[in-house]
Amino acid sequence: MSAGTRDEAAVAAEPPTGLRDDVRELVVEDLTLRFGGITALDAVSFTVAPGTVHALIGPNGAGKSSCFNVISGLYRPTRDPAPREPGVRHRVRAPREVRYGDADLTALSPHKLAALGIGRSFQNIALSPGSTVRDNVLTGRHVLTRGGFLSGGLRLPRTVREERRHTARAEEICDFLGLADRLDTVVGVLPYGVAKRVDIARALAIEPTLLLLDEPAAGLNATETAQMAVTITGLRDALGISVLLVEHDMGLVMGIADRVSVLDFGRLIADGPPAEVQADPGVIRAYLGTGEDETDDETDGGATADGGGDGVPS
Amino acid sequence: MSDTLVKPSSAQPAPAAPKRRRNWLAIAATAVGLVLLVLLPVIIGTEVAYLKVAQYILIGAVGGIGLTLLVGQAGQLSLAHPFFLLVGAVSYAVLSGEAEADLVGLGLPPVIGLIGAVAVSGLLGLAFAPVAGRLRGIYLGVASLSLVFLGLWLGQSLESLTGGTSSGRTPPTFELFGFAFANSEPAPTILGVAIQKQQRLWFLFLALAVIAYLLARGAVRSRIGRAWRAVRDNEAAAAAMGVNVTRVKAGAFVVSSAYAGLAGVMTALWLDLVKPDENEFTGNYSLTVAIAFLAIVIIGGLGSVPGAVFGAVVVYGLQQFFLLGANEFGWFADAEFGGLTAVVLSAFVYGTAVVLVVLFEPGGAAAIGRRLVGRRAPAPVPAAPGGRDTPERNDDDPRA
Amino acid sequence: MTTFVQLLVNGLGKGAVYALLALGFVVIFKATEVVNFAHGSLVLVGGYLVYELKDALGWPTAAVVGVLAAALAGLLIERALLANATSADHNGLALLTIGIDVIITEEIVRRVGADIPFIGDPYDAQPIQLGAVTVFRTQAIALVVGAVLIAAFLLAFRYSSWGVAMRAQAENREAAALMGIRSSRVTATAWLVAGALAGVAVLFIATQDFSGAGLGRGTHAIALVAFPAAILGGLDSTAGAVVGGIVVGLTEALSAQYISFEFSKSAVFLVMLVVLVVRPSGLFGTKELSRV
Repeated sequence: MSAGTRDEAAVAAEPPTGLRDDVRELVVEDLTLRFGGITALDAVSFTVAPGTVHALIGPNGAGKSSCFNVISGLYRPTRDPAPREPGVRHRVRAPREVRYGDADLTALSPHKLAALGIGRSFQNIALSPGSTVRDNVLTGRHVLTRGGFLSGGLRLPRTVREERRHTARAEEICDFLGLADRLDTVVGVLPYGVAKRVDIARALAIEPTLLLLDEPAAGLNATETAQMAVTITGLRDALGISVLLVEHDMGLVMGIADRVSVLDFGRLIADGPPAEVQADPGVIRAYLGTGEDETDDETDGGATADGGGDGVPS
Repeated sequence: MSDTLVKPSSAQPAPAAPKRRRNWLAIAATAVGLVLLVLLPVIIGTEVAYLKVAQYILIGAVGGIGLTLLVGQAGQLSLAHPFFLLVGAVSYAVLSGEAEADLVGLGLPPVIGLIGAVAVSGLLGLAFAPVAGRLRGIYLGVASLSLVFLGLWLGQSLESLTGGTSSGRTPPTFELFGFAFANSEPAPTILGVAIQKQQRLWFLFLALAVIAYLLARGAVRSRIGRAWRAVRDNEAAAAAMGVNVTRVKAGAFVVSSAYAGLAGVMTALWLDLVKPDENEFTGNYSLTVAIAFLAIVIIGGLGSVPGAVFGAVVVYGLQQFFLLGANEFGWFADAEFGGLTAVVLSAFVYGTAVVLVVLFEPGGAAAIGRRLVGRRAPAPVPAAPGGRDTPERNDDDPRA
Repeated sequence: MTTFVQLLVNGLGKGAVYALLALGFVVIFKATEVVNFAHGSLVLVGGYLVYELKDALGWPTAAVVGVLAAALAGLLIERALLANATSADHNGLALLTIGIDVIITEEIVRRVGADIPFIGDPYDAQPIQLGAVTVFRTQAIALVVGAVLIAAFLLAFRYSSWGVAMRAQAENREAAALMGIRSSRVTATAWLVAGALAGVAVLFIATQDFSGAGLGRGTHAIALVAFPAAILGGLDSTAGAVVGGIVVGLTEALSAQYISFEFSKSAVFLVMLVVLVVRPSGLFGTKELSRV
């Protein structure tokens, strides 16, 4: 697909309020991931329908982050060699466990995802602390723009025009996320909750049709978490895109998700609307049976997100 | 679009963002500065030695800008700068020099030689990129050191190109559209000052340095600059934004090497000599130079283009200034100086400057400058839980 | 064949010296993640005191004073400067050591002047003849001293309380602090040890036998060649430093003989490059995991 057309459409037209035709289905099918002898993900399947907020939850170590990292191209699925029968010709075909529309995400480098319209935020905020909010968000326009050292260095009229246009759009996105008065602020001095929104603004700047959010409420206090919930549903409603979020905070998830997938020890133990999942005995067992309530330390602690990668044995 | 959207209410009302306005004072100061630089040969008059000092600073500035882009902006530590200086100097001599007894020379027009030398340096930077792409931080720094040793050995071995360590070779006189950067009779004059070889070289160096400076500033503010910083700060996040990390890193190496190559051509013209070093620790392309360039970049503030120019004044300027004092006024000759030499004294100064910068102002001269001018006062944020310390640099401030 | 045996012994002797220097890099790096660019100047500090004092005190006493002085210089640099650079991370501190290195090196080079003296009096330039094989006495003694010191170091690192504290801190700084390990003491000790190792190394480096470079910039540059030794072994591996040192020593000796003396230092760096391209964290280094 052409990056340019997506960009033009997004900048020029009012964002469609209904379902957009460029938002595709994210399919995770029979996904297995092993680290050494440990199975982080065991034949996990679920589908993120276009235009929905889909939550991936589970206790610590359930494999949420591993799953997220496979989707965003940082990990590759583990594939067992098929049992071979002598004399039979086997068709070798990649299983394509993770697909976005027609694109096989298991075969792409992480940097190719942005051009497909997949944006992601980071659990522990991976922004450039020395750059301004505007500059950080503009980084998200990378695939939508052109130009290298010389065109940038010479400040060709075309480059300057492009720069101006994309800066306007970046500022618009910041405005949407309540960052309008922080555009010139250096990210490193921002409070955690605000920096978290900058991270999401940057992911939105690639004009995604699918937004991946890695623990958007981690490290936030109760007020900030509530704001985050409003932000997430707001951007889905306004842009008509799909959102897949990995989250600890059950309150947030149940409030905003259209569909919830629950992982426990690398297996999918439930998949359905929030109310249904909440009532599922298996889910209750997984969450309460271990004697740990994850949500507490995450929501009221606020400042100290442990940032611990769950489900990533290392 | 935002009007129709649910807008999350901002938790704390932030202080008003500093307004962007054209700073006429700064523009005027820049203009006056440029005029002074252009008229420098007239101001200096017949004391050509001072002009040589100024020329040398520009060499340090061009090389320093290239290194600050690589180390400060793209986050890749390199100690290989002297190697690319050597490549630039030798390439210029080979491309534009005349073939002599034992020397290879293609006799191309000097402009082509200069551009070609920059290109060759950039290409060799690209050749090192696969190695650089695999390594990080200090591992890359030490790996890049190997190029300095390689340069030393190649410089000694390839005598037909370099002229060898004993005599070297003379670089061709630079010419632009038939105008030679050499002495002539009669020479044109500006305000009564004859514009001879050194004056002409000053104008050439100034033009090259201004071009190098403007290109770097533009790049830092543009898409490529943002990609560099994204890669520097978090490669995974950069990739998620669609930045091809390997390519961007390689590109930064190419740009930096090309800058070093240009500084190498300038070094050759300044010395009027291309001569590889005899050992790895003294000379124009040695470890000492690698450290000096790193000092330029640190003192100026990592990633700051104007900072690199300032660093060049401190590191390259003082050294030549002290040398000048030694030659002209007999500084350091007496016992009262305790055997200090110009080189030692300047090394003390920049060594101390590096220590002071790291201890007290990790943002270097650039951060001090910003504070003095009072721009970019990052709005004081009340210490919020999870809020972080003031960052030490702001390297992409378009107004800095 | 005899040439080869000769090269082997001399190369191993050099390797032992490089290993001592590389251990100095590693021990500081493990404690603080700082790469010490001022290592070469610690080498010079030790050597300079030997040079100044050996006539007055006699060589053995001067050598001891030199080692102690290098150790103290390391301690002083850490306590006075690095410990006070509170706003700098480990990369900033590495840059700080560059500044320190420039100052100390220039001062000592200036003090020594044009002499560039040799300081290995008791053994320098007195080759041992074993049948057809000629062995430099410096390298032979370096090999023995190096082996003893390296063994002592590795034992201390494994079994002494300092070694345990050190390894705990390298593993996890916060956890070590919670266990009551005083980070500042571990760090200071690391610099002390690194300085002492540098002080021993210089006794063999600033000799005619080692490379003919006297006490001066040449000696300083040799300390830089220990960088590849530490890097190719893996900056956080003590065993790697020893292996790296020996690889560097042998590479230098063999390439100087069979290719050219000028090429020998480049050869060391080329070997390191090859190792790094295959294993970006060195032979024994911990693989750096990129965390998201």
